[in-house]
Amino acid sequence: MIMKASLAFLLQEPRGMDLWQLLFTLALICANDSLPTSEVPLGEPQIIKCRSPEMETFSCHWTDGDVHNHTAPRTMQLLYMKRGDEEWKECPDYVTAGENSCYFNTSYTSVWIPYCVKLANENKVFDEKCFSVDEIVLPDPPINLNWTLLNISLTGIHVDIQVRWEPPPTADVRKGWVTLEYELQYKEVNETKWKELEPVCSTTVPLYSLKMGRDYEIRIQSRQRTSEKFGEFSETLFVSFSMASETVLCAEEIQFPWLFIVIFGTCGLVVVMFLILFSKQRLKMLILPPIPAPKIKGIDPDLLKKGKLEEVNSILASHDSYKPQLYNDDLWVEFIELDIDDPDEKTEGSDTDRLLSDAHMKSHSCLGVKDDDSGRASCCEPDMPETDFSASDTCDGTSDTDQSKKISEKEETLLCLDQKDNNKSFTNLDDPANQQLISQSEDNQSRPPFADSIESPSPVPPVRTQLSNQSSVTNIDFYAQVSDITPAGSVVLSPGQKNKTGRAQCEAHTEPAAQCQSNFTMDNAYFCEADVKKCIAVTSHEEVEPHVQDQSFNEDTYFTTESLTTTAVNPSTATEEASSSEMPVPDYTSIHIVHSPQGLVLNATALPVPDKEFMVSCGYVSTDQLNKIMP
Amino acid sequence: LPICPSGSVNCQVSLGELFDRAVKLSHYIHFLSSEMFNEFDERYAQGRGFITKAVNGCHNASLTTPEDKEQAQQIHHEDLLNLVLGVLRSWNDPLLHLVTEVQRIKEAPDTILWKAVEIEEQNKRLLEGMEKIVGRVQPGDTGNEVYSRWSGLPSLQLADEDSRLFAFYNLLHCGRRDSHKIDNYLKLLKCRLIHDSNC
Repeated sequence: MIMKASLAFLLQEPRGMDLWQLLFTLALICANDSLPTSEVPLGEPQIIKCRSPEMETFSCHWTDGDVHNHTAPRTMQLLYMKRGDEEWKECPDYVTAGENSCYFNTSYTSVWIPYCVKLANENKVFDEKCFSVDEIVLPDPPINLNWTLLNISLTGIHVDIQVRWEPPPTADVRKGWVTLEYELQYKEVNETKWKELEPVCSTTVPLYSLKMGRDYEIRIQSRQRTSEKFGEFSETLFVSFSMASETVLCAEEIQFPWLFIVIFGTCGLVVVMFLILFSKQRLKMLILPPIPAPKIKGIDPDLLKKGKLEEVNSILASHDSYKPQLYNDDLWVEFIELDIDDPDEKTEGSDTDRLLSDAHMKSHSCLGVKDDDSGRASCCEPDMPETDFSASDTCDGTSDTDQSKKISEKEETLLCLDQKDNNKSFTNLDDPANQQLISQSEDNQSRPPFADSIESPSPVPPVRTQLSNQSSVTNIDFYAQVSDITPAGSVVLSPGQKNKTGRAQCEAHTEPAAQCQSNFTMDNAYFCEADVKKCIAVTSHEEVEPHVQDQSFNEDTYFTTESLTTTAVNPSTATEEASSSEMPVPDYTSIHIVHSPQGLVLNATALPVPDKEFMVSCGYVSTDQLNKIMP
Repeated sequence: LPICPSGSVNCQVSLGELFDRAVKLSHYIHFLSSEMFNEFDERYAQGRGFITKAVNGCHNASLTTPEDKEQAQQIHHEDLLNLVLGVLRSWNDPLLHLVTEVQRIKEAPDTILWKAVEIEEQNKRLLEGMEKIVGRVQPGDTGNEVYSRWSGLPSLQLADEDSRLFAFYNLLHCGRRDSHKIDNYLKLLKCRLIHDSNC
C-alpha cells in the first residue's frame, strides 16, 4: 500500500524536491524488503525476465510457481506502468509470447522510458520489476550460417574457411536502429569445450587452421554493441572435412618430428665419438695442426745455441743476399746494443779518456757530447774548421753520405797532399777503410781503434768515430795496437806500423781509391767486409803487407763471423805478414776462436799478452770485452 | 586521417568521415557512462536501497526526443540533429560539476573520477563535431537553440550523504540514458544520410 503510494508519487513529475525526498525516504523504509525480485520466496510466481529483441517490442515471462499450495488455478495478471501513466495497466497481450508471458508490441513500447511491471493475482502482488527498454535488449540469433573454403595448406593437413551469416531478421540493422556484435564459437565434434573468437561487427569471419579429417561445429551469438549480455545462440553449423580425408595420406597428426631428430642426433654423436676415440692423433692433427716453428732455411737453431759460429757462418756465407744486410743493419744494431747503462762502462769511459787524454781532449769532450746524440755521430758541428783535423777527426761522425763524400773528397786531396809531403804511412787510399776514415777526419795521432771504441760510449757511430778518428791523412796509423794493459788500468800501446800502405799511392790509386771511396760514400755505413775487399783487389801487390794487414785489419774492423772465419783462416798469414813487415808488430791480433758471446781467443802472435782474450772488432768493443780488458 | 589546413576550400573531411567520428565518440561516451554508473551502483547504491530506474526524470525532460523507431524515422534529420545538439549542450554544465563534486565523495575510487573527467572532455569534442556536421548539413542555419538549464547542483552538495549520493545516482543514470539516446540517433542518421538506410 504504502509502496504503491510512494511509487505513484515517484512516477509523477516532481512537484517539489523536498516533499518528494521525504516521501522517498518513507518509501525506502517501507519497501526495504520487497524490492529485489530475487527475494521472492521459492514456489511463488516470479517474473523471470523481460526482454526486447530489437528495441521495438518487449515481452516479460514469469513462472507459475508451485501450484500445489493453491487449490484454484490462479489468474495471473501482469500490470505495468510507465512514467507518465497514472495507474497500472494490464498486459495487452498474453498470447503472442507464449504461456506465462506478456508481449508488448511497438505501440506499447517506448525506449528510454522507465517501465515497471508487476505480477499480481487479484490482490496479491508477487513480483515487480522496473526497467527501461534500452537496457533489456537481447537480440535474436543470427540466421543462415554457411561456410566457404578459403584455402588448404600445402601439406594438406590444415584448412581455412570463411563463415558467413545474416543478422537476425527482427533487428533493424539496416537503418541503424540496432547495432549488433557477433561472437563465433566453434569446436570439434567430439570435444566438449567451445573455442571463442573475438566479437566482430561484420557478418563474416574467417576461421583458420581447421584440421582435415575432422568435423566441426560452429555457432554464433549476437548482442547489442552497448550491452554486455549476448542473445541466444544460432543454430549450430556442421562443418565436415572427414569426407575429404580419404584422399589425404597423412591422417595422423604430425607433430614436430622429435623422434626423428633424436635418432639422427644420437647416430651422429655415436659416429663422432668413434672418430674421436679411435683416431685420436689424426683428429687432433686435423683439428689442431701444429704450427711450424720458425727457422731459417738450412740453419739448425741448435747450432746457434751451441755457439758453433763457424758452421753458422758458412751457412750464412752461402746466402749471398745476406751479406749487405749484415753490414747495413746488423752493424748498427750491434752498435746500438752497446748502449751503456752500466756504470762500469762509464768508468771505462773515463779510463779511455785517461788513455787519450793527451791526445784529444777536445775530441773526448766532443765524444762526450756525442753521447747525448741519438745515435748519430754528429757531435760537433760540421762547420768546424776542417783544417783543425784533430777536432774534426773526433767529432766528425755524421753518417750523411754527402758530408762524408765531400769530406772524403777533400780529405782525399788533402791526403794526397799530405802524402806527398809526408811519405810516411799514410793511410791507404785504396784501403776503403782508410778512405772512409780519411774522409771523416784527419787525425794525426794514432789511436787505437779499440781505444776509440772504448772511449766512445755511444754505440751508434762508434765505428764512424773510430774510423774518423783513426783516419789520418798522412802519418797516422789506423790503429795502434794495444800491447798491454797495465794493472793500473791504462793501456799500453805499441807503435803502429810505419809501412802503412797509404804511402804514395795517391796518384796511382786515386781512381781506384775514388772508386772505392765512392763506393764507400755510397755505402754509408760500413765499408768493412765487402767493400774493403773490393778496394783491396784494386790495390797493387806492393801493398801486400798492408793488404793483408789491412785486410785483416779491415776484416777485423767489422766483427762478423765471416770475418772471423777469414781471419781464422789466415792467422798464419797475418802473423807471417806481420812478421815479414818491417815492424814486427801487427795491427791486429788475429782471432783464433770465437767464444760467443764471451769473447774471442786471439792468436798469441804479436801480442805479448797471449792469455788475454782480446776482442778485435770494427772499432767496437762490447761491454763484455771491456770487462775482460780492464781489470 | 586526412589533414586539412584551415582555410582551404578543397580539402575537406567528408560528411561520412565526420559521422564516423561522431558515432565513435558517442559510442565511447555511452560506454564510459555505463561503466561509471555500474561502478557507482555497486559501490554506493547497494544497501542504500535506491530505487533503480524508476526515479524522477532527468533535467532535460523538456526536450521531446523520439522514443521509438517510428518516431525517429519520421523526424526530419535536421531536427534530429538539432535535438542531438540540444541534448549535448544540456550536459555541459552537469558534467562540469560532476567532475568537481564527485571528488568530494568520500573515498571516491579513481576509476570513477577518471571516467567523469573523460566523459566531460569527450562530450565537448562530440559537441564540436556535431556543430560541424550541422554546419555542413544545414549551412547558415544555426537551428533552434534549445537549452535546458540544469539546476541540480545544490543536490550534489547536500550535507546529508545519502541524499547527496542519491543525487549522484540519479545524475549518472540520466547520463547513461542520454548517452545511449545520442548514440542511437547518430547511428540512425549516419545510416540514413550516408548509407542511404542500408547499413
